Amino acid sequence: MIGTPSRPTRAVTGWLLVLPATVVLAAFTHLPIVTTLIASLHSRATAIRPARFVGLDNYRSLAADPVFWKVMGNTVAFAFGTVPVSIALALAMALWVNRRIAGRGLLRLAFFLPTMLPMIAAANLWLFFYTPDIGLLDQCLGLAGLSGHNWLGDPSTALPCLMAVTIWKESGFFMIFYLAALQGLSAELREAAMLEGAGPVAYFRRVLFPLLMPTTLFVSINAVLNAFKMVDPLFILTKGGPSNASNLLLYYIYENAFSFNDGATAATLTVVLLGLLAVLAISQFVLLDRRVHYR
Amino acid sequence: MTEVRLDALCKSFGKTAVVKDLSVTVRQGEFLVLLGPSGCGKSTTLRMIAGLEDADSGRILIDGRDVTGLPPSRRGLAMVFQSYALFPHLTVAENIVFGLRVRRMDRVERDRRLHEVAAMVGLEAHLTRRPAELSGGQRQRVALARAIAARHPLCLMDEPLSNLDARLRHDMRVEIRALQRRLGMTVIYVTHDQIEAMSMADRVVLMRDGRIEQQGTPEDIYARPETDFVARFIGTPPMNLIRLADGPRGAVIAGDDAGLPVLAGPGDGLTLGLRPEQVRLAEALPETGPAGGPATDAGPVRSRSARVVAVDYHGPDTVVSAGIGGQILQVRAAGHVPARMGQEVRLSWSANAVHLFGADGRRRSPSALHPV
Ligand SMILES: Nc1ncnc2c1ncn2[C@@H]1O[C@H](COP(=O)(O)OP(=O)(O)O)[C@@H](O)[C@H]1O
Ligand SMILES: [Mg+2]
Repeated sequence: MIGTPSRPTRAVTGWLLVLPATVVLAAFTHLPIVTTLIASLHSRATAIRPARFVGLDNYRSLAADPVFWKVMGNTVAFAFGTVPVSIALALAMALWVNRRIAGRGLLRLAFFLPTMLPMIAAANLWLFFYTPDIGLLDQCLGLAGLSGHNWLGDPSTALPCLMAVTIWKESGFFMIFYLAALQGLSAELREAAMLEGAGPVAYFRRVLFPLLMPTTLFVSINAVLNAFKMVDPLFILTKGGPSNASNLLLYYIYENAFSFNDGATAATLTVVLLGLLAVLAISQFVLLDRRVHYR
Repeated sequence: MTEVRLDALCKSFGKTAVVKDLSVTVRQGEFLVLLGPSGCGKSTTLRMIAGLEDADSGRILIDGRDVTGLPPSRRGLAMVFQSYALFPHLTVAENIVFGLRVRRMDRVERDRRLHEVAAMVGLEAHLTRRPAELSGGQRQRVALARAIAARHPLCLMDEPLSNLDARLRHDMRVEIRALQRRLGMTVIYVTHDQIEAMSMADRVVLMRDGRIEQQGTPEDIYARPETDFVARFIGTPPMNLIRLADGPRGAVIAGDDAGLPVLAGPGDGLTLGLRPEQVRLAEALPETGPAGGPATDAGPVRSRSARVVAVDYHGPDTVVSAGIGGQILQVRAAGHVPARMGQEVRLSWSANAVHLFGADGRRRSPSALHPV
């Protein structure tokens, strides 16, 4: 038997154990945050002029940038348009495939399939739906006698098109969480509710939905954060266009950093995004926690 | 009037028949206990009455109304689940009035009912708590209160006390029974615990493998078990069942071939039943003939010598296990019995304490009992 190590020795062992994780976390998360923050307070570096400290100038010019506000508005609209719908769909699908129906396994797989595809592949798939005239969507419209439409090229439909892809892809993923939660609920609760005279609607409203609240909290936080971090389908489908009609925050950061070569603005945008994500996550926990009943 | 009739109910899960041609009538205001070993189909039967499980065939009538195809909510009954099935996100009060609320009873009447039933089960002090903040016994009371709040004349209970400790179980037995009498409810109560059945039931239906083995009052079932299965199931400790064999002068205890006969006639395949409390224990005396013991009003006393193999002291009584010819008999004697392991003792019983079961396990008619 090994004797109990002295207190300092144990502390050293502890630190050594967390060291690898700490190093990785610091190198790839904490340090970049700090350097980004610093970069956002400096001017854009060019070949002839190195960056210099400019205080909050970058933030001021961002506030005056109409494209930034356009992108911000798009991002918020994107979140509002995708999160409630994909959560509602996820819950509906979970309720459906949780029942004893023929082909339940296949149905579950079908709903989950979009989640397993990489977003890039999914976007390519949808590109084929949206392509003017020869795309699936226009072909179907053609059958109905309607004329084709340039779905991704029209500023009024570009963003909704992105939303559709995202909803299609995310709701299957969120369904899994609801399905797991549903399977953790005792069947006797439903039976007791039925015996007490609750129909399916009353059962859902008074028992099922409140009991799924922890899942809803978890899923909605993830959904909102994902919405604000959404970028992949833009590369394939719209590239943020036409004229920024479908541009989102993360894609705009990418454009600034790598297309416009404006590291300072990109860093400033990144800090704004990080701040937004932090505020969103915290406020959701606080807001929803009051309505969540953990067992 | 709330009378329940089960008419030739059958239920299979896949290929396994779980309830087989079950017919029972439960009378108005009766406390009927469905008793049987685990897996014999009690819960399935109860769930069919509740409408939570569809019967494959047969009918269920409540007050003469065929409810076989009706959903649970339209059968006019309440149920207490083994797990209590309380809604974890609702307070005690909300749990109790859940059914009244979804049935849109007005608020004033609902509150009146809530306080009435909460008082009945002693929960007034805990109405704002959630189930997770209650003890097992209190949860049990909430489940009970929810079941009686709607004032359904029929209440089904599935092992409602099995999650409680022994002490609480005893108290709740008394309380449930008192509540049932007070409200005049018809109760169908499922348990695998024969003590619960014996102490609570007006009538016991003892099930085995999806069929009724015997039904009757607790006294009936105790005094006249129709099969050796019933004999073994009822009583603590259960009835001694002793295999008999043919002997030169009558039936003898198998393994004790040299011993004196216990019954006239052949013994092969027969089983002798003796309740532990009906066997008397005495210090060993020289073996006497069949008529050796003192005659009493109850008939001649049989007696046998046996060797003590275990002594189990309970306080008010002692259960002594003694072997005769390789078979063990349990004897229940009042008070403390200073028996030692390996000690030679004398067991005696009167002829009318004897139960006899045939090779098929069925009770032999008393006329088959010929004392030697
Ligand atoms: N939903 C079900 N599916 C398959 N088999 C079941 C189901 N419910 C019960 N059974 C089986 O039916 C038999 C009787 O069950 P049950 O009525 O619960 O017994 P008891 O309540 O008497 O212990 C058991 O063997 C059990 O495994
Ligand atoms: Mg059961």
